[in-house]
Amino acid sequence: MNGSGRGLSFGDAVARTRRWLPLICLASVCGALAGLALPLVLADAVDSAVAGDAVGGPLALAAGLIAVSVVCELAETFAEAAATAGATARLRGDLVRRALAIGGARSRRFETGDLVARVSAGAADAASAGPAAVGAATALLPSLGSLAMLAYLDWTLAAAFLAGLALVALVLRLLTARTTAAIAAYQRIQGRIAARLSEALTGRRTIAAAGTVEDERRRVLADLPVLRGHGAETWKVLASAGAQAALVGPLTTVGVLIAAGVAVSTGRLSPGEMLASAQYAMAGAGIGALTGVFAALARARAGVRRLSEVAEAPALEYGDADLPPGTGRLEFRGVSAYEDDEPLLEAVDLVVPGGTVVAVVGASGAGKSVLAELAARLRDPDTGEVLLDGTPLHRLGHRALRAAVGWAPERPVLVGATVGEAIGSYGSVRETARAADADAFISRLPSGYDTPLEDTPMSGGEAQRVGLARAWHAERLLVLDDATSSLDVITERRVIDALTAGEPTRTRLLVTHRPGTAARADLVVWLDAGRVRAIAPHRRLWDDPDYREAFG
Amino acid sequence: MKREIRYGLSGLRPRPLAALAAWSVPQALPASISGLVLARAVDDGFLAGRPWTGVAWLAGLLLAAGIGAIGTRMVYATVGGLVEPFRDRLADRVVSGSLRAAVTGTDRGSGAVALLTRQLEIVRDSYAGLIVAVRGFAVTAVGVTAGLLSLAPLLAAVVLPPFALGLALFAATLGIAAARHRRAVHADERLADRVGSVLAGAADLSACGAEAQGRSLTAGPIRDQARAERSLAWVAALRSLCFVVGGWLPLIAVLAAAPWLIDRGLTAGTITGALLYVLYGLQPALNSLISGVGSSGLRFVVTLGRILDASGAPEPPRAAGAAPVEPLDLEARGLTFAYGPYSEPIVEDLDLRIPAGDHLAVAGPSGIGKSTLASLLCGLLRPDAGTVTAGGRELTSMPPADQARHRVLIPQEAYVFAGTVRDNLAYLDPEAGPGRIAAAVDAIGAGALVERLGGLAGAVEPSRLSAGERQRLALVRAYLSPAPICVLDEATCHLDPAAERTAEAAFARRGGTLIVIAHRLGSTERARRVLTLDGRGAVLREQEPAQIQPSS
Repeated sequence: MNGSGRGLSFGDAVARTRRWLPLICLASVCGALAGLALPLVLADAVDSAVAGDAVGGPLALAAGLIAVSVVCELAETFAEAAATAGATARLRGDLVRRALAIGGARSRRFETGDLVARVSAGAADAASAGPAAVGAATALLPSLGSLAMLAYLDWTLAAAFLAGLALVALVLRLLTARTTAAIAAYQRIQGRIAARLSEALTGRRTIAAAGTVEDERRRVLADLPVLRGHGAETWKVLASAGAQAALVGPLTTVGVLIAAGVAVSTGRLSPGEMLASAQYAMAGAGIGALTGVFAALARARAGVRRLSEVAEAPALEYGDADLPPGTGRLEFRGVSAYEDDEPLLEAVDLVVPGGTVVAVVGASGAGKSVLAELAARLRDPDTGEVLLDGTPLHRLGHRALRAAVGWAPERPVLVGATVGEAIGSYGSVRETARAADADAFISRLPSGYDTPLEDTPMSGGEAQRVGLARAWHAERLLVLDDATSSLDVITERRVIDALTAGEPTRTRLLVTHRPGTAARADLVVWLDAGRVRAIAPHRRLWDDPDYREAFG
Repeated sequence: MKREIRYGLSGLRPRPLAALAAWSVPQALPASISGLVLARAVDDGFLAGRPWTGVAWLAGLLLAAGIGAIGTRMVYATVGGLVEPFRDRLADRVVSGSLRAAVTGTDRGSGAVALLTRQLEIVRDSYAGLIVAVRGFAVTAVGVTAGLLSLAPLLAAVVLPPFALGLALFAATLGIAAARHRRAVHADERLADRVGSVLAGAADLSACGAEAQGRSLTAGPIRDQARAERSLAWVAALRSLCFVVGGWLPLIAVLAAAPWLIDRGLTAGTITGALLYVLYGLQPALNSLISGVGSSGLRFVVTLGRILDASGAPEPPRAAGAAPVEPLDLEARGLTFAYGPYSEPIVEDLDLRIPAGDHLAVAGPSGIGKSTLASLLCGLLRPDAGTVTAGGRELTSMPPADQARHRVLIPQEAYVFAGTVRDNLAYLDPEAGPGRIAAAVDAIGAGALVERLGGLAGAVEPSRLSAGERQRLALVRAYLSPAPICVLDEATCHLDPAAERTAEAAFARRGGTLIVIAHRLGSTERARRVLTLDGRGAVLREQEPAQIQPSS
């Protein structure tokens, strides 16, 4: 049945980089500690120089601390790259797997262009969740460490610093939520523009003939001003954040400097220590770095959400049953299917004896394609059950189901590196291509079956025949959803001949608009507005004018 | 790289740029005076036993920070004003470039979505980052140099040489870095391409049980992208080392030279002031320059380069020339066309004259070249040999807009887009009034469909329409076109025969020339002349057209 997926939580995304997080954390902490020790050592060097003492010792120590912090930085860089690159790849793999598992039902939820954006940008953002979280956690270390060092130098410094820090915290609280909202709105509009471009690219022949590239350009870009509005919003957020940082950061530093100056004038601190206190104050209120950290966190959160939406969408799940022996007896028991609460099929009961040829006819919108998708289990019924040789389809194992059932749509999308690969790996590619009358034109291609698919422009009829060849292997049930509509009559006749010839070892379900095809079926299922109007041979129905009307 | 830099510079419109430079001055004020202020505060105030003088000097720094905050806010706001229009211009370029590539058949444009989403975003962010970084660096470097010189020229001589060395080293690594970034962007694009083509066929893969094949097709590009991302970490490591030289070496140099400087009469205050300039001015400036140019700059150059390669400058809008034109005679002479250098010609040495007002059907088995012939007669394909002329003018020499005024082509894959019904129907004649549209809808028999969609103002959602419904909308659109030559390329194949009859009858009554690429016998019976392609040649025969009547 439909398996609603568990969403992807921020914690799940973090866990994807689990192995690297300790190293990132360690490097980040060590680097911060070296950074905290450095000002004191520099202070020592300054004071020694001012006092006319040798500076060699503190100088060597300072160089050592700088080296440690550089090494830590390098380690963090490499670990972060390894972590996010690996996690991005795995998240992308999972996302593609999920999108493919959602399968036929997918197109009604996500446009392809939008999904591609989620795979390429969303996954990369989500993968940075772990490092971003570590960054956010360790970002506090310099602040807290600096506070400790300031208190160690003189308590008045710590007091001045804390007053500044309270201001910084206030700024950060205000910032994250607004950034997330602005980025999410921006990304939504961007996705819409990309989806429009995707759509326009499918109509390239119409656009070419009409010379309407310019109109299409305007249509696709129509939301650009809206995007610009959301973009301006993100700049506004950044501008106020930046201004607050520019104000708050020095406020803390100057406060600490004044406290340190007073301490110098009373002899509690040396000039070198005054410089050190300025450095601690800056490190503590390093709000510039912190805003970056929180922006990364916000971006990761937005990415996780976009991935989660796909992960939550229901996907087809398979059982582990095998089919008992049979010839493809197809049964619908009280099957209904809805979309957005609109009924597509209602209370359909039907039994197709194994090995027969059955046609499905009905006017546009009668539910023929939905019935075909249910029979081929590209979707599950909302109520009722579909059975093949007595076994509910959803109980069948993946391989058992797909070896038994084939589906050829009116507009097949061919996937594979080569034409041969697009036909698939069940049985002999060439044999099935011949049966679907595709062998002749494929053989004319530059490298025959090995011709790269992307170098093979095909007419609708050619694509349909490759799509047919792809499904031909079906052992128990072959579903053709208007899959010969783009073939000329002579070719179609040849294909139907091949389809109906031979031993009746499998059931063939043909959705068709053509009376000639319906006439060759053993039985016709006549659908009308989502319900079965009649099940009978074509010649018995033909006298009914309503039936003839179903063909147009 | 020059081209990208030029393009980037061209986005710096003078007014916002001048504003940016002006607001940079107050922004840089705190960093420029910080060392000087600290030196005075220490020497004249805290160490001289006049703490209030020291406090007064430091308070001046607060004032500077307030002015700096205003500068920062305005700088970000101004950057947005430079970046958003730049993004708009690029989005336009990507959209028109990919649409144009798609209509001329040079590219199916599947990478365009990645260009428009992730990569355009990268350019936007990096352009902003680059502007902020370069500008900030320049302003601060100038300010700090002035400050150091006024503090003590000797200090400038100690600080500036290692700083300049670090800068030079960084510049030297830019080449390697750019090459790696380029690889990463390329990997990104291939990934989006592949994921797009696989996910478009999700239902098909699911029906074949070939989800694993879909996953394995995407696995390679996902892995390559991760590898490219990891190799970027090395670039980041190089940058850290440059910072050691440019940022930390000046500090060590001041400390090492301190005893000597103090011998030359420099005070404790001047030394701490100089160190503050390094820590507070030069280090942050160098840091943001390195991260800005090193990451944003390279991402900018490489990503922008890909975008510029893959797109062209937008064309000026076409002149509106909707005036009806007289039908022209079409004539093909010695027409020859093959899809690839190794393929057999699909059309070979064809001579054909189609006088104005003719009704011609083209028949023959699928894959035989009927669609190709339609494309050739419409000037969408360039013949390998021979010519097609309209009214004596060679088609390939006519601009697309001119061609579009003379003929309309409706391909089998009907193109409808998200928008209102009216947008879709009046696509080829934006001036069509509701009366004319209603008449066309009636003539094609699309009344029920339009009504279901909510009338002319109703919304069209392409993924919710069946292929037949799309075709009906495309037919109404073509019917409304002012072009006198109409080519239906299996444009009715998803309609039932009666609806097809109605549509063809409407087009026959419409006047002008009608060329029907037929996939059913009915279409050939209704034509005045029939051209039959059989793979070896073409046979033209005239006939008494069957009585055309709209279906009851």
